[in-house]
Amino acid sequence: MELDWGVVVRAFDLLLKGTWLTLILFFFSMLLGSVLGLILALMRMSRYRVARWLSLGYIWLFRGIPVLVILFFAFFVVGRELGLTPVQSGILGLGFSAAAYIAEIIRAGIISVDPGQFEASESLGMTKRHYMRKIIIPQSIRVIIPTYMSNSILVLKVTSVAVAIGIVELTGITRQLSNSTTRPIELFTAAAGIYVILTTVIIVAQEVLERRFALKT
Amino acid sequence: MDWDIVWESVPLIWKGAGATVTMFAWALVIGTVGAFALSLMRLSAAKPLQWFAIGFGWLFRGIPLLILLFFAFFALPELGILLSPFLAAVLGFSLWTAAYQAEVIRSGIISVPPGQAEAAEALGMTRAHYMRRIVIPQGVRIMMPPYTGNAITLLKQTSLATLVTVPEMALLTQRIFSNNFQFIEPIFVLGVIYLGMTTVLLIISAGVEHAFRLKV
Repeated sequence: MELDWGVVVRAFDLLLKGTWLTLILFFFSMLLGSVLGLILALMRMSRYRVARWLSLGYIWLFRGIPVLVILFFAFFVVGRELGLTPVQSGILGLGFSAAAYIAEIIRAGIISVDPGQFEASESLGMTKRHYMRKIIIPQSIRVIIPTYMSNSILVLKVTSVAVAIGIVELTGITRQLSNSTTRPIELFTAAAGIYVILTTVIIVAQEVLERRFALKT
Repeated sequence: MDWDIVWESVPLIWKGAGATVTMFAWALVIGTVGAFALSLMRLSAAKPLQWFAIGFGWLFRGIPLLILLFFAFFALPELGILLSPFLAAVLGFSLWTAAYQAEVIRSGIISVPPGQAEAAEALGMTRAHYMRRIVIPQGVRIMMPPYTGNAITLLKQTSLATLVTVPEMALLTQRIFSNNFQFIEPIFVLGVIYLGMTTVLLIISAGVEHAFRLKV
């Protein structure tokens, strides 16, 4: 079997277009997931039982169901009801799914701070808002960054599932090209290479962030 | 939501549960054996074995599972390897499981302090004996939570096999979409079945962790 890598060069524009859509899905679903995840993490630690239960129920539900099913719901039910484009539905589904994982990551970071520090801040008369911003968050961010970043690698890879609701991102365009050119080996290898490059960029970003927030001793 | 359609959808979707569970079980068994081999290679003294294990993990954790499935389904036939959709899916899921569980098993093994290896050697234990009696019982406790976490992820990811035409639950759900133009009811049923399955796995894993807890 003769491999023809020229097909990758000829299809490069389309692969780049797919990569761009993958990045759009990734960026906006991480944005939505992070905002929602932060809210869920705070609800989970709230003094109101209803808020804690709601957050716990959300996390159990969205971590117990495959992303594919969440995307089906976002596309066929929510998307049709609200008249969303497939990409908007995809961002909604991926973001709501990511939020459940990010909530747990943020919560783990916050509870990693020694409880004595909460007490000490309170006894110094700091308001909750003040000590969260000045004492707790700066310390928990160090714990959060590694898991948050490795989770974002998972989110990047999971954007490929959007092909199931007709979004022609990198995996989708590769499948189309592979059908029309009958060159699946070359094209899927190229797509895999692009994903590896993107995940490597995230790993490098993680190193930089970890160094930026490291303890200065 | 129309409950009549919900009840009609249940048996149609449930027909795919066998395929879902079989893919999950095969991939978990094959993947775990592979993961164990990979983690031993990673910890071995032979450099080529270490490199192979590192390369394997880097590759199969760096690319989306769906690309692995598409590669097995669309590209392997070009290389003369014709697999049924089911086998292509099991192959992709097994490679994924091996790559992720290898990290879990390795971290379990290295969590045992090296002083214990020296103590075992001083007592004249063979390496195999030491692994079996000292390392594995302690490592399993560390491994269990991330191992079952990955297993639950695997179960959910078997739904991707619909994209390589395996007639599992998600594919049968999509068949209802196109035959009846009903969406919310079959999606609801599919979600409830998966939620039930993952919750059962969560309960089992809590039980296993309890069984392996330190008895003091």
